Amino acid sequence: MRAVEPWVVAPLRAFVAESSARLALLMTSSGQVVAQHGFVGALDLMSVAALGAGIVASSSELAVTVGWEPFRVVAHQGKEQAHFLAWFDTPRGRWIALVVFGSETKLGLVRVFFEQLVEDLAAAAPPEEEPRREVLAADFERELNASLRALFGR
Amino acid sequence: MTSQFQAMLDGLTRLRGVRGALVVSLEDGLVVAESVMGGLKGGALAAIGATLAGRAVELSGRGGFGRPRFLHLQGDDGALLVAPGHDLALVALAGRDVPIGMLRLEMLRTAERLG
Amino acid sequence: MSLVNFTTREITCKIVYYGPGRSGKTTNLQYIYGRVPEARRGRMVSLATQTDRTLFFDFLPIDLGVISGFTTRFQLYTVPGQVYYNATRKLVLQGADGVVFVADSQARRLEDNLESLQNLQANLLGQGVDVRNFPVVLQYNKQDLPADLILTHADLDDALNFRNYRSFPGDALRGAGVFETLKGISELVLKRLAAGGAGAA
Ligand SMILES: Nc1nc2c(ncn2[C@@H]2O[C@H](COP(=O)(O)OP(=O)(O)O)[C@@H](O)[C@H]2O)c(=O)[nH]1
Ligand SMILES: [Mg+2]
Repeated sequence: MRAVEPWVVAPLRAFVAESSARLALLMTSSGQVVAQHGFVGALDLMSVAALGAGIVASSSELAVTVGWEPFRVVAHQGKEQAHFLAWFDTPRGRWIALVVFGSETKLGLVRVFFEQLVEDLAAAAPPEEEPRREVLAADFERELNASLRALFGR
Repeated sequence: MTSQFQAMLDGLTRLRGVRGALVVSLEDGLVVAESVMGGLKGGALAAIGATLAGRAVELSGRGGFGRPRFLHLQGDDGALLVAPGHDLALVALAGRDVPIGMLRLEMLRTAERLG
Repeated sequence: MSLVNFTTREITCKIVYYGPGRSGKTTNLQYIYGRVPEARRGRMVSLATQTDRTLFFDFLPIDLGVISGFTTRFQLYTVPGQVYYNATRKLVLQGADGVVFVADSQARRLEDNLESLQNLQANLLGQGVDVRNFPVVLQYNKQDLPADLILTHADLDDALNFRNYRSFPGDALRGAGVFETLKGISELVLKRLAAGGAGAA
């Protein structure tokens, strides 16, 4: 389990246990990973999140373009595994859940426990802290330049 | 198709004590058709019914007594009943006061028509 | 929108390379991908047509290392440039912390550059972004082409840079200007983050 904000941990862990999912990933709507739980293996999570967010964004937009309500859920059924993708609103803005599951469970169950997850997250979110200022030191530009130079081998 | 299912379900929910009846896809546990009393979550019933049926099929296969035709899960306050067909299953939730024999018969008969 | 995690001290920012079709956006990312050590970058994902035209986006995550005590990551995206892909362009632009506008320096592409720049402004405004305070840098790419085909840096500034953004000449194919451009946008994005500004909605 890795999570950006600690209050996400308990609801996400409960969701994975109850739904028997293999992996659950929470991300912002622009595809940045907020939390993950389950078997990651050799997965490149950042690409997974970027592509997942792309799918949700484009399928919602497709729905709106043809005059429907934006789809909340996109499900892909593979031979060994299935994917469940859905957006939802949290006290921290719109997030996306990407759930990978296999024959141990069913889409219907994942969906039921996903609704529970959305409620649990809403209940667990503490009030937002005052934005912390002074994120970066005054001399961050020097460090940035050094980092970029090292990155480009200059 | 769906309206035909709806008629089958209405036949079940007409019985006293039946709080909900659903046609469920066994593969993914999603609702195909439902007739449930307000306050009940069809999606959850469908998922639980299909999961239960899936496990039962698996286990009865190992037990060597063939495909299960009927599941009756009795709780203190009522019963969950599942009649699995091939791709679809009939799921019902009943209170304590249900005429259980009648419901069972009706479900088996209806499940035959599901195919 | 940038994700700042105070617990694990991580910053993740989204930077979008924007511009008309075939100006060299994908080439910028390919060059960066080729130069950055493997341990400091993720896989480059390209959703492209069979003829290598960007269909949805290219995506490249890079790890800048620790800056001011924060592990800093950039997620670089490109958009498809052709006019008719505006719907997908808007999707990729969502939540961006900064934009690199890659212009094609060829004189015959001037109109396309202008149109794309206007499209960028319209899409940012459509997402509720305060365009005046949003980090953007310009790259005038393909400066390696023969002088009679291209406009100079000064000409392009006159023609395109009405908001007085920082601008860089580029030859993305051989890498000239790619680093400077990335550095330019990084500084703007991180400065804005330090000042407590937010990204696109
Ligand atoms: N001469 C020259 N060609 C370039 C340069 N950058 C990109 N190209 C070429 O321009 C074409 C389009 O580049 P691409 O990166 O796919 O453009 P995009 O549509 O903006 O992603 C390709 O054939 C590139 O090789 C450059 O700086 N100089
Ligand atoms: Mg491209």
